[in-house]
Amino acid sequence: MLGKLMTCAAVVLMLASAARAETIEEKAQVCAGCHGADGKPIDKTIPVLWGQTAGYIYMQLRDFKSAARKSEIMEPLVSEFQRDDMLALAEYFSQKPWPDLGQPRAPKDVAAKALAASASIGCPACHLDRFQGDGTVPRLAGQGRDYLAKTIDDFRTRARANNPGMSDLMQAASPEDLTALADYLAGL
Amino acid sequence: MNRKGLAVIAAAVGAGLLSSAAIAQEITNKDKQSVIGNVNIAPVTQDKLNTADKSTKDFLLTNGNYAQTRFYPGKQISRDNVKNLRVAWIFQTDVKESLETSPIVVDGVMYVTTSFSHVYALDAKTGKQLWHYAHKMGPITVYCCGPNNRGVQVLNDRVYLATLDSKLMALNAKTGEVVWSTNIADPELGYSETMAPTVVNDKVLIGTNGGEYGIRGFMRAYDAKTGKLVWNFDTTPENSVGVWATKDATGRDMHRDIQAEKDMLAKIGDPYAKLGGGVWQNPAVDLATKRIYFVVGNPSPDLDGSSRPGDNLYTDSLVALDLDTGKYVCHFQYIAHDVWDLDAVSPPVLLNVKGKDGKVIPGVIHAGKTGHIYVHDRKDCSLIRFSEAMVPQENMWTLPTKDGARMLPGANGGVEWSPIATDPAQELAYAINLHQPMTYHVQSSPYPNGKLWLGGAFKVIPGEQQSGNITAVNYNTGKIKWQVKTPEPMIGGILATAGGLVFTGEGNGKFAAYNSSNGKELWSFHAGAGVNAPPSSYMIGKKQYIVVGAGGNTQLDYKRGNNIIAFTLD
Ligand code: HEC
Ligand code: HEC
Repeated sequence: MLGKLMTCAAVVLMLASAARAETIEEKAQVCAGCHGADGKPIDKTIPVLWGQTAGYIYMQLRDFKSAARKSEIMEPLVSEFQRDDMLALAEYFSQKPWPDLGQPRAPKDVAAKALAASASIGCPACHLDRFQGDGTVPRLAGQGRDYLAKTIDDFRTRARANNPGMSDLMQAASPEDLTALADYLAGL
Repeated sequence: MNRKGLAVIAAAVGAGLLSSAAIAQEITNKDKQSVIGNVNIAPVTQDKLNTADKSTKDFLLTNGNYAQTRFYPGKQISRDNVKNLRVAWIFQTDVKESLETSPIVVDGVMYVTTSFSHVYALDAKTGKQLWHYAHKMGPITVYCCGPNNRGVQVLNDRVYLATLDSKLMALNAKTGEVVWSTNIADPELGYSETMAPTVVNDKVLIGTNGGEYGIRGFMRAYDAKTGKLVWNFDTTPENSVGVWATKDATGRDMHRDIQAEKDMLAKIGDPYAKLGGGVWQNPAVDLATKRIYFVVGNPSPDLDGSSRPGDNLYTDSLVALDLDTGKYVCHFQYIAHDVWDLDAVSPPVLLNVKGKDGKVIPGVIHAGKTGHIYVHDRKDCSLIRFSEAMVPQENMWTLPTKDGARMLPGANGGVEWSPIATDPAQELAYAINLHQPMTYHVQSSPYPNGKLWLGGAFKVIPGEQQSGNITAVNYNTGKIKWQVKTPEPMIGGILATAGGLVFTGEGNGKFAAYNSSNGKELWSFHAGAGVNAPPSSYMIGKKQYIVVGAGGNTQLDYKRGNNIIAFTLD
């Protein structure tokens, strides 16, 4: 897995400088190397971008650029981007259809546990009905399970430090509840 | 309708405006709105607005009138005949999301809004759509508690709207065309708009949301003709420290560590710049003294007081300003240095009340998230009395802890943003309440550049029974006159009428009429989606109508819908 990512990253680094002056479509091709040419990421720890909310994508690119969100892979990729590039890429990906990763629905007991935790913290108050997201709040429904689990854990440990509010909320939930939520959200 | 559907609509209605500076501009893009029918309204003059409280024909402001009494003077629909109330029409909006709109009615035309800042003009008699303004949302919206919109106001021939991406707009009341649009504040820093503007004497009054994002709150007046800023009042003044109050408005100790706060103040200085203090609901306007009265929300971050030493003025306060200049007149703080988000959101009401000595004086009433109704002297904002608690209170004021401390009421109240209604003849105020047992958790983190900044979390305690209630309080004694329990926490609003009734809805879809003197239920209807919006009333010809939105609620996750439902007698 790591190997695959590394190769991918190497390819990207070669492309990175060339990508600067190109159109949004061409820039987006670089992203497709990892986030998937058909919207399905090439690895389970890479998030779905297609159909994600534009405001959220923009905010993440902005945060990778300022390193408020740490990622050895993403940070160098966006370092040259201007605000307009980021807004345009965000708009571009948000207009694509959300891919079906074919993840299984969570079993009843897991779903029940996830929904109880969700109701207690009030996840839908921000992530909206059926976890579709809006604006700068991400869609969670159908996101890759392993990515969700990883990023939730990163919020909990504050390794992902670009939204302390989400970290606070994740720390108020138990790890078992959060595992159930990752299973549940992936299967939506 | 889901987000993608909205995006399609937005794209179809044309490109929006991305202006960078906070200046007004004309927009000539005509295909943003669709006109289907004719709107033939007489211009809504200031005189008409000034006497809105006496009109049985129109419902001109979201809370009925400038005093925000939510008392409708018509009485065709009465205790005797309300059992015959029937659906006159149902209008389905294009947006199936949280619906908090207060319909206003002008000369037979109704204006309603939906989530994502859409506006509709409807024929108030038939529910037929006359025009639809679909706001092209900017890519960056940062908001709390749902993509809500609570309504619009009309002055002369313009409809005033504030949008989720923090724009103030004037639309042509006849066509929905944009006349001007002004950027209020930068959404990327956590600013958003969900309230209806209040328009008076050619000024458009507007607050802001963002207390969950470390904004600096404000109340502002914009010129109704041009959209230019007239005055700005920062709700967190440069000296926000205050008097180091150790007790809340009701005299209970808040367990502040004043020494630790003073040490922090010496270290970091006054925290006013990112102190929050959103204004969620309309100001009340005292036309005689030309003052406005509004309440200010929580400090940022919500639950962590360690980085914001002092009383955090004017968060959690009633504030009065001079209407013409925006200059400070007086304030009263309910909770200094709040770390529970039990802030002030429900719009204040201007009424004559009994002062401490029993003499009748001009007063202001506010229903708090604490579950008390507070009664103030309008002259200096001072507190005259507070009511019995309308919801269970436990362990007040227990400080939040890392693992969570239980305290009631939960962080949604008491009374949330829901406007109250009043009936001066009965000396009653009617409020809808939540009872949600919660634990309060604290976590410290530095200001995150406009991102969510809660300083912890509030958690509903799983398995503990939640409920709601409708409570009538005598504001001259502070005593509860009657209370009706509901199975779920209540959010939305309530209307009182001269017919001796109050109307309000619940998250389970029930919408009902009660005898306003004793709370007896006299009629009910099931809407199929949460009725979490304030009702309004009006007349067309000889018929009185009651109208309410049924679209559920994001904050409490009540079943979504997209209906505006009008009722009348058979
Ligand atoms: C070499 C592989 C790779 C390439 C190429 C790549 N990404 Fe990523 N991207 C990742 C990984 C891995 C993550 C997850 C980082 C983490 O776990 O925090 C990520 C995360 C993201 C996120 C955050 C999504 C979320 O749900 O939080 C965005 C937005 C993003 N990438 C956009 C882009 C864009 C735009 C491009 C092209 C300019 C791009 N990426 C190219 C690997 C890649
Ligand atoms: C008060 C609002 C709020 C609540 C409540 C909330 N979230 Fe979030 N959530 C956000 C925001 C805003 C973001 C974007 C974070 C950022 O800026 O990077 C986010 C991001 C996330 C992400 C990252 C998605 C991605 O693609 O990387 C996950 C996963 C998530 N939230 C899960 C949850 C869960 C599960 C709950 C309930 C237990 C929850 N959230 C409750 C506001 C909220």
